[in-house]
Formats: sequence, C-alpha cells, structure tokens
Amino acid sequence: MTISYIEILSAGVACCAVWMCGVTGITPLLRLLAAQTALIAVITALLGARLHEPHYFWLAAVVLCVKAIAIPAYLSWAAGRLHIRRDIGTVLNPMVTLLIGGGTQTAGYFLAPRVAVLPLGNVGAAGMALVLLFIGMLLMLTRRLALSQIIGFLVLENGIFLYGLTQTHGMPLMVEMGVVFDVLVGVMVAGLVIFRLNRSFEHIDVTQLRGLRH
Amino acid sequence: MNTLCWFFTAPLLIAALSLWLRIERRLPWIAAGLMVAQLPLVAWLCLPVFSHSAPVTTDFGLDGVGAAFLLITTLVASASLIQAALLLPAERAQDEAITARHLRQFYLLAGLFLAAMYAVLLAHNLGYLWIAMEATTLISAPLVFYHRTRHALEATWKYLLLCSVGIAFALFGTVLLVAAQHTAGGSSTLHFGALLKHAASFDPRLLRLAFIFCLLGYGTKAGLFPLHNWLPDAHSEAPAPASAMLSGALLNCALVAIWRLSQVMHAAGQDGLVRELLVPAGAIAVLAAGLMLVRQHDLKRMWAYSSVEHVGLLTLAIGIGATPLFILHALNHSLVKVALFLLAGGIIHRYGSKALKQVNGLLRSAPAWGVLLAAAGFAIAGSPPFGTFLSEWLLLRDTFGAGHPLAAVLVMAGLTVTFVAIAVHVGRILFGHAPQEHRTLPAPVWSVVPAALLLLALATGLALAPPVMTMLTHLAAIGGLR
Repeated sequence: MTISYIEILSAGVACCAVWMCGVTGITPLLRLLAAQTALIAVITALLGARLHEPHYFWLAAVVLCVKAIAIPAYLSWAAGRLHIRRDIGTVLNPMVTLLIGGGTQTAGYFLAPRVAVLPLGNVGAAGMALVLLFIGMLLMLTRRLALSQIIGFLVLENGIFLYGLTQTHGMPLMVEMGVVFDVLVGVMVAGLVIFRLNRSFEHIDVTQLRGLRH
Repeated sequence: MNTLCWFFTAPLLIAALSLWLRIERRLPWIAAGLMVAQLPLVAWLCLPVFSHSAPVTTDFGLDGVGAAFLLITTLVASASLIQAALLLPAERAQDEAITARHLRQFYLLAGLFLAAMYAVLLAHNLGYLWIAMEATTLISAPLVFYHRTRHALEATWKYLLLCSVGIAFALFGTVLLVAAQHTAGGSSTLHFGALLKHAASFDPRLLRLAFIFCLLGYGTKAGLFPLHNWLPDAHSEAPAPASAMLSGALLNCALVAIWRLSQVMHAAGQDGLVRELLVPAGAIAVLAAGLMLVRQHDLKRMWAYSSVEHVGLLTLAIGIGATPLFILHALNHSLVKVALFLLAGGIIHRYGSKALKQVNGLLRSAPAWGVLLAAAGFAIAGSPPFGTFLSEWLLLRDTFGAGHPLAAVLVMAGLTVTFVAIAVHVGRILFGHAPQEHRTLPAPVWSVVPAALLLLALATGLALAPPVMTMLTHLAAIGGLR
C-alpha cells in the first residue's frame, strides 16, 4: 500500500489537532491552529499541481491568508486585549482529552475506508478529516473559555474543508470562497460578542452563563 | 438584467437608507413603507411560476415552493416592520440604553437579514444555499442583542455558537453529497435540478450520510427537538419584530433546505430513510414541545416553545411527503405566530415585564388586545375555525393514511397537551387582577397588524376550498417531484 504525500500531510494536520487537545495556553493553541491550517493550504496547492487546476492555487492562497494568518492573528489580538493567557480550566483533564484525541486518530485510520471516496485515492485523508471533526467537537465541549470554543469550531471547519478537498476535488470555487468568507465573518462576530461578554460579565467562562435556564 | 435582482430591492434599500443619517427619525416608517411596497412586487414576480413551469437551470431561480415561501417571508417582514415602526421608537423613548445608533443598526441588520433569507429561498445550488443560511445566522445574531442586556448577550452567544456548529454539519453533509457523486464517477454538481435528475446513480451509502448530516445541520437551525436549545433564548430575548421574523420566516427557510434535501433523497429512491428519520423526529418534537410548554414563566418563551412544536409538525409534513400541507401549515403558523409575537411586544411594553406572573387582567385593562390574544392563542393551539386547525387536521389524516399511526397518536397527544397549556397560560393573562400602575396606553393602531394577520389566518381556515388545495399541489409539483 502506497501512501501519498497528501495523506502524510493530512496525518500531520490531524496530529496538530490531537496536540491541541493537551494544550491550554491560548498562544500555543493558536500557533497549532495556524500550523494546521497552513498545512491544509499546502495540501490544496499540492492537489492543484497534481490535477493541473490553477484555481486551487487561488484557494490555497486565500486559505493561507485568511484562515492560517488573519484569523489566528485576530484571535491572538483579542486574547491580548482581554488579558487571557490560558484556558481557566477544562471540563475534562487535558491529559485525558489528549488520550481521547490519540484514540480518535487510531479510530479515524480504521474508519477511513468507510467514508472515503475510493476512486480518488486519498483514503487516509478522509479518516484524518473525521479526526479533525471529532476533535473540534471535543474542544468545544470540554473547554470553558469562549475563545477556545471558537478555536474548536475552526478545527471542526478545517476537518470539513479537508474532507471536501481530498474526497470531492470539485467543490465549486465560488462555494469554497463563500465558505471561507462566512467563517471569517463568523469569527469576527464571535470575537465582538466575546468582548461584550467580557465587559458585561467580567469573564468569558461559558459554564458560568446560565441566566437563561428556566 | 436578471429579474431575480428585483427581489432584493426593498431589503437592500432599507439597509442602505439606515446608513443615511439625515432620515433617522423617519427611517422606521420609510422601511415599513418599502416593505409593504415589496409585497405586490414579490407577488408580481412570483406570478409567472403559477402559470407555467420552466425548470430552473441557473444557480438562483424561482420554483413553486420557493415562490410560496418568498411570499410568506415578505408578508412576515412587512407585518414585522410596520409593528417595529410603532414599537421600537416607543421603546426607545423609555429605555435610554437604546440609542439612535442601535435603532439604525436594527434596520441595517433587518434589511440584510431579509436579503439573506431571500437568497436562501432562491438558491438552487445547495452550496449557495448553505452560504446564505450561514449568513442569516451571522446577521441575525446581532439582532438578538438589540436590548443590550446580559440575558440578550447570553442568548446571542448561544445562538451564534450552536447554529454555527449545527450549520457546519450541514456543510459536511453538502460536501458528502458531492462525494457521493464521485464514487459513482462522472462530474459533480450541487445544482438542485441536476441532483434530482442524477440522484439515482449516486453512492447510496454516502448519500444517506449526507442527508443525515444535513438534517442535523439544518434541523439545528430550524429548532428541531432535541436541537432546539438555542431557540427559546434567542426568540425571547430579541425585540418583538425580530422575534416575529426569526420565528415566522427564518425557521421556514431552514425547513425549505430540509425539504430540498428530502426531494433529492426521494429522487434517489431513498424515501425510506427520510420517513424513518423525519416522521419520528417530527412527532416527538410535537409531544416534547407540548410538555415543555406546560412549565413556562415567560410570555415570549412560551411562543418560542410553540414554534418548536410547529417545526415538529412541519418536519412531519416533509417526512410523509405532503408538500402542499407543508406550505399550507407554514403559512398558517407564520401568520399566527407573527401576530402573537407582535402582540407580545405590545403587552410587554405595556406591563414592563415578560414574566407571566406579572401580566394579568389584560381583558379588563385593554379589551381589544385581550380579545386578539385569546383569538391568537386559540389559533396557535389549532382550534377551528382558524387555518391552523385545518392544516393540522389534514396532516393528522395524511399521517394515518401514510401508515404511521404511532406518530399520529404522539402528535395528537402533543397537540392536546399544547392546547391545555396554552389555554391555561393565556387564561391567566386575560383574567385576574390588572396591576394598578400602568405605563401609558399604546394607541389602538398597535393592534391593527396582529388583527389583520389573524383575519388572514381565519381566511385560510374558511376558504380552503378544493381549488386552493389543487393550486398548492400544483405549486409543489413545480419544484419537486411530489
């Protein structure tokens, strides 16, 4: 069985995500997110070279600029303004989360053939995309800080993007661009809400938001 | 120029005018006027669909179901904006936390929100449909935050996050839909018409997975139980006109997305899965929402839970493949629910509280409103002679007919509990001691829009002659297959 460059890079992306499970500092989390997304941009460009489709290079450039540079930079600026260094504590111990993440990666490897599009030949990448999906959810559920929940959402979104990229080869460019734009606006809006949360509640601990439970 | 652009004139004009400082005072009425003028425009644009049906080949287009929901959305928006012109300036006069800038923001967002909803309904490419749907979340989240309170902020955060995650699943479903075509070989598309044509050749395994993820995603956005968690918070914290639009128009948009997916599944011969998922989900949602309605302490949360119930009914209608009923019930629900939210806005303004405990004696202190609220309460609980009764009754009949007696029994139980719960809550509002000190009485003109909506709901109940059903069936056939 041969493993393509794309599959190796996808595994790298998933490793970044697993690593994120065990990290609580905001700066390392954002660096890992940026590295992960940059790897996805490289995969996009490689696919473009393999398929001789120039529009993939555009997509790779947009992903690199928006999702790997602009969004992490914005979030780290926001964290600086809010004086947040690390997550105030997680629902699950980070080490336990890390173990679950590692287990997921193994499971993703075995699940891959069941969700992959076999004729396109990036079977492993499909499994790794699932790993990203799951870890994104895991981060959103176990982190208490509103900012880390956004990071979890971005990991989830990266998983969907990776799956679409390696398993379909053909999401229309306009749709992909629209999705990237929506994510960008979403992060901006969520960031603004976080500033508001911090001003009104003097914290951004989502487990403490329970005024509306009737 | 493309005729579809005309749909976006009024919403985008409202958004643009809200940025123009010099018309600040007149803005609410200008917006309401523009939206009312939009109503005949949309009707005129949708008219060709009723007579002849050319299949849509472009990414954006007009089909039967889309046209019906465009009309409903426009109706909801014009009613909401007329009431907003009455309510929001009056609220602003009392609450100094709301500034003129917030009011302008409301109109900017409302215009963009409407444009995004139109885009959802016109989209015939499921990729663009997704983008427009995510846009509706991002635009309407700040609308929920209009009152600038802590509760509103919490609701905004919950709405933004839960719906974004939900809708991310729908994106995964959409991607899987493309993947399902690759397994079969050949080119891939996301165009609704092309999907219907080629659905039979897709990889059934990935297609089923795609439907499940899309259902999870758009179901979250529609507030389908048990994914409804954000809905009561967002709908109760938003200002009344925004709640009316969220409940009467946006939920429909998400359901139209589910309907489109169900049509693709139908074309692929996967009806079984659609039925297995949607029928129980809808029936359970009706019962669960009915039970949750019993323990409510807040006027607007009550109507929000009632929306969860009606989303359940609409999901059931999609599940059994009754598209005409889906349109009819969506229309009835939108009419009555918008009337209720607008009435609630006035009542809350009058009593200065949303708590059911503090809202009493409405019938004595404002008889016209009391009568309207009683009528609307009966209508939303599905009593004759309102349209909701007819569509719920037809839906029950078809559910039995389609061979789902258990689901029908669950729905009947749910509807009964809902009726009792709403009757008790509304009864408490109507009777009892009115509090001594009232704020200034709002003018009688405030009750015109809810009354008009209720009359329309009454008309759909009384005028449901066979020709109307034939027309709806025809309308449903234009877009989909059934």
